[in-house]
Amino acid sequence: MKPSAFEYFTPNTVEEAVGLLEKYEDEAKILAGGQSLVPIMNFRLGRPEVLIDINGIRDLDYIKEEGDDLLIGALTRQRDVELSPRVQEKCPILAEAVSFIGHVPIRNRGTIGGSLVHADPSSELTTVICCLDGEMKVVGPPGDRTLGPEEFFLTYLTTSLEPSEILVEVRIPTLPQNTGWSFVELSRRVSDFAIVGVATLLFMEDGGICKEARIALGGVAPTPIRAEEAEELLAGQKITDALIVKAGEEAAEIAEAEPDYHASAEYRKDMARVFVQRGLREALNKVRGGE
Amino acid sequence: MKLEGKYTYKASQQVVWDLFNNPRCLEKAIPGCKKLEERGPGKYDAILKIGIAAVRGMYSGKFEVLDPEPPNRYRLIGEGSGTPGLVKGDGIIEFSQEGDSTMLSYTGEVQVGGLIAGVGQRLISGIAKMMIKEFFRKMKTELKSLK
Amino acid sequence: MSNEDKGKWVGKGMKRKEDLRLLIGRGNFMDDIRLPNMKHAAILRSPYPHAWIRGMDVSEAEKLPGVRGILTGEDVEKMSKPFSVGVPVPPKYYACAVDKVRFVGEPVAVVVADDRYIAEDALDLIKVDYEPLPVVMDIEEATQPDSPILHDNIGSNIYSHRLFKYGNPEKAYEEADLVVKGKFLFPKYGSTPIETYAVIASYNPYNEEFVIYNNYQGPFVTHFLVALALGIPENKMRWIVPTDIGGGFGTKTGMYPYIALIALAAKKTGMTVKWLEDRREHLLASSTGTDRVTYMEAAVKKDGTILALKDKAIDNTGGYIRPPEPGCAYRSTGNHTGAYQIKDLDREVLVVGTNKCLTAPNRGYTCQELYFSVERLVDMAATELGLDPAEIRFKNFIQPGQFPYTTATGGLYDAGNYPKAFQMALDIIDYKKMREEQQKARKESKYIGIGFATVVDPSVTNIAYVTLALTPEQRAKERPKSGSGESVIVKMDPLGKVHVIASTNPQGQGHETVISQIVADELGIHPDDVTVSDVVDTHDRVYSITTGSYSSRFASVGTNAVVYATRKVKERMTKIAAHLLEANPNDLELKKGKFYVKGSPDRSISIRHVAGTAHWNQAALPEGMDAGLYASSFLSMPTSKPVDDLDRVDSSNTYGFVAEAIVLEVDIETGEVKFLKWASVHDSGTVLNPMLLEGQVMGSCIHALGGTLYEEFAYDENGQCLTASFQDYLVPTAMEVPKIDIGHVETASPLTALGSKGAGESSSMSVPVAIGNAIADALSPLGVTIDELPLSPNKIWHLIQEARAKKD
Repeated sequence: MKPSAFEYFTPNTVEEAVGLLEKYEDEAKILAGGQSLVPIMNFRLGRPEVLIDINGIRDLDYIKEEGDDLLIGALTRQRDVELSPRVQEKCPILAEAVSFIGHVPIRNRGTIGGSLVHADPSSELTTVICCLDGEMKVVGPPGDRTLGPEEFFLTYLTTSLEPSEILVEVRIPTLPQNTGWSFVELSRRVSDFAIVGVATLLFMEDGGICKEARIALGGVAPTPIRAEEAEELLAGQKITDALIVKAGEEAAEIAEAEPDYHASAEYRKDMARVFVQRGLREALNKVRGGE
Repeated sequence: MKLEGKYTYKASQQVVWDLFNNPRCLEKAIPGCKKLEERGPGKYDAILKIGIAAVRGMYSGKFEVLDPEPPNRYRLIGEGSGTPGLVKGDGIIEFSQEGDSTMLSYTGEVQVGGLIAGVGQRLISGIAKMMIKEFFRKMKTELKSLK
Repeated sequence: MSNEDKGKWVGKGMKRKEDLRLLIGRGNFMDDIRLPNMKHAAILRSPYPHAWIRGMDVSEAEKLPGVRGILTGEDVEKMSKPFSVGVPVPPKYYACAVDKVRFVGEPVAVVVADDRYIAEDALDLIKVDYEPLPVVMDIEEATQPDSPILHDNIGSNIYSHRLFKYGNPEKAYEEADLVVKGKFLFPKYGSTPIETYAVIASYNPYNEEFVIYNNYQGPFVTHFLVALALGIPENKMRWIVPTDIGGGFGTKTGMYPYIALIALAAKKTGMTVKWLEDRREHLLASSTGTDRVTYMEAAVKKDGTILALKDKAIDNTGGYIRPPEPGCAYRSTGNHTGAYQIKDLDREVLVVGTNKCLTAPNRGYTCQELYFSVERLVDMAATELGLDPAEIRFKNFIQPGQFPYTTATGGLYDAGNYPKAFQMALDIIDYKKMREEQQKARKESKYIGIGFATVVDPSVTNIAYVTLALTPEQRAKERPKSGSGESVIVKMDPLGKVHVIASTNPQGQGHETVISQIVADELGIHPDDVTVSDVVDTHDRVYSITTGSYSSRFASVGTNAVVYATRKVKERMTKIAAHLLEANPNDLELKKGKFYVKGSPDRSISIRHVAGTAHWNQAALPEGMDAGLYASSFLSMPTSKPVDDLDRVDSSNTYGFVAEAIVLEVDIETGEVKFLKWASVHDSGTVLNPMLLEGQVMGSCIHALGGTLYEEFAYDENGQCLTASFQDYLVPTAMEVPKIDIGHVETASPLTALGSKGAGESSSMSVPVAIGNAIADALSPLGVTIDELPLSPNKIWHLIQEARAKKD
């Protein structure tokens, strides 16, 4: 279990990194936290000829606020996001979702950018970003561009990043007061890849009416997906348990679940239902607790 | 794993049949195909570079069209092996005219073996289906380029 | 020894002497060994589960700079013989595939290179021409004449087949009111020790001798068998095991083919060759427990008395069969009837091959397979008779007054108090209250279940059992086999400090600590005054076929050897002291480091003076006494006898007891299991070190929790292993471990010097079925029955859906 030979670069700036990507394109991979890439290389499932280690680009490691948004540098460690008082206060669903990624030692190394770019369909970060409608800022030779989740996540392990582009920042809206939220998931063991992961947001109005609902599912399609029909069902309504049951059923309908050894397609699909229902109940409880 | 699906191509059944027997079009549409050579009637050798993100490998493979019943159906078998493992497929492709379009339906089975089966089982089924979709979608592009 | 010194250390939770070096990274494992000019091996493995090897081209790989040589199946066939195994027609199992591969991961070639990176690069350059063959993956299908055949020389996939009858089962069936039946599937899971296999081998062509470092769990039978395969006498193959082994659990007691394979690579290349198994190799191709299909039925009377058992069990040892298999099918013979008074038995045993990874003992060595059927059946009988599952167990237990108890199959249970231990488990979980809570919960549509397992925990294998694979007629033609000996040498130096030389080859059990405790007590010294060297070097240790740590041997036979050798040293010391004091040895007592003449406190001599005399002033020793001060002990247990003509055998030597009581809740929406209470009560005789025992019990519980809910070597129908990384082979972590309340009953064994028995496997035998019984109990209102493992949430969910569909 030793990787095949590769060339190794340690740029100190984004420009240098992009320059290297421009030169080596497909043959190069960016090494950030290495929590997915290194096992892939050790198994020789992947054999990049060039490794661009961006851990020296220190100015990609930050958590900032700008207006109603949080700006998180791509190289920020997952553990730092999880433990950040600012994230916990302004966008607690993000801190919660991140806490489900692997174990602490994995989150100590793993980065926000690395996880998003790896685009695993079961990933907690991709699911929560999809729910939050976060934005990915990428830099390439012609300059930078900003992509929403639907533009960014294309399919299994694939994003719309061009070979010479690098993800530098994620912009995440903070949650307004009176927002119910939850992140729930089912996995075989604590830390395993989610069979189903569900992020929910309930933006409430006075009088207990749900102005807007967002439900994102991970693990049940090639990318994280939003359960739009279920969201519409809840929008503008006073949320009852009957409505939650229905929303879960509706959400499960859109799951294009694939079987694997741990979960059949039917099981996965039904768990999408169960966890959307559980997630919505938890979100509702949170906002009711705040009333 | 079992696979099945249906696609509609805007052309006559004969044109679609020819498309699916045209090595140049197949070469362009097979995901990751670097080279496709016909080594006999209905028999092809291929070099494929298949990969998703960092998980990538070179495969050399063979395809063979069996029991052709032009322009209605054929059986396609294929196998490839490379550093990440083995892939073997066996399927039936059927063509039928529906108005001015042709309906293509396929059923088949894909076996994956070696390294990728042992350490990558979680996403294999989804990725295999995605690549097959990509193939049939690209064949639509090829169809347009033929016209 | 005076009373004040007695038992000062044994029985105390003394901290492990081993821990400091392990905690600060100063352990000495295989990967810590660096030898001059050591080269590195990587192994090419088959991606096919069943295929002919039609050709192999290594020329490109040989050209790669840094490659020192390549060993292929062709070389292995020329340079060695297949490993022997105790079945009528053995398959040709070489250290690597010769003409055919029979499971994914089977070695087909070895590259030796300057480093492991180059060696792995070279693997990619070897071209193998495989001709794939149909596979057989299902155990029962493998027994069918039309299934694909793995070994042409055998002609079927059946490696071993025996019929047994004990007592008079026909009569028992006539007397029975009810026959309860079940079919049970036990999965293939393993041990995944933190240190995988590792071998460093070199060959000296001038004296034709191999020196092989490895982390095997003992010489056991494997040293003998590897020498046989290499075609050399045993004394030409020196095995050295480093001080520390990172876990074994049985995985390292099977025929370890890589010892021979790397030895051959070393011989062919003329290099010192190191090979360290990586985790993928380990999960694909090291060694697992056997999966088993069991058809079992019990003939029962209305009052719950179990009269007879009838079963057909089919084990699967994978692509080949290797020693100590077919032990999987025979090792538990003596304790086949578990904790119950069952006199009549009818058994059919089959051991078959499929295109899966090979097997070897796995903590519990098929007792978990056995008890999964027996203890499920006991619960099923209770349900049918309307009895409480606890009550039916009390009804059938062997009673405390019946020990030593001889089982129908020849097991000699040395001691126990099963009702007392089981009652303790019931009290810990507050059984009566839990039943009430279960009823309440059901009204709220919550599914709580209570599950028990009460099992006999055999320790110290008597190697005789392996000959059960032969019929009495076949056995009569061979020399009998028996034994369980372990050797220890105790030396005292001139300053009165003790060094113990053992060869139990521990893999983390803490033998160094316990040996020190025992010696300290026997001689009235401090454990810090005892050092222990407990590793195998076949050239300087005394050993035999039975030597090593497996089948929980240390606490019984290992401690016997320590005690008896120490007592011999003490006897000699007493004689020397008596001689110097001009007293009668019988009049001496050892107290606080001195020998005193009883009744004359002023006449004494220190241990140090005695020891000094033995080394420094040998003329002062009693006439005829050897110089120096040491003694050895190498005794087999007296109960280790050959199999008799009626196929009865005391397959182990000491027999402990485990009572498991588990309360859990099943989330019927997701199929997840949550543990509410878990009592694990053990009788492993006298407790030597409660802290170490607790570690063993926890370890065995969690190991079994893995096999029950999480772990499985899963294959698809085409023979591909789906669980070749820890992403899919799910070993429970600390996060999955529930609270477990451990209790002890101490019934001293009359067969061991200290009354202790092995406990290292214990709950690994009882937990799978206890959890299975609890889940079955929880889901009984839904009509779900449990007859297979592992019980993943996905599996439980499907069982619930199927039961619902049946009801509708």
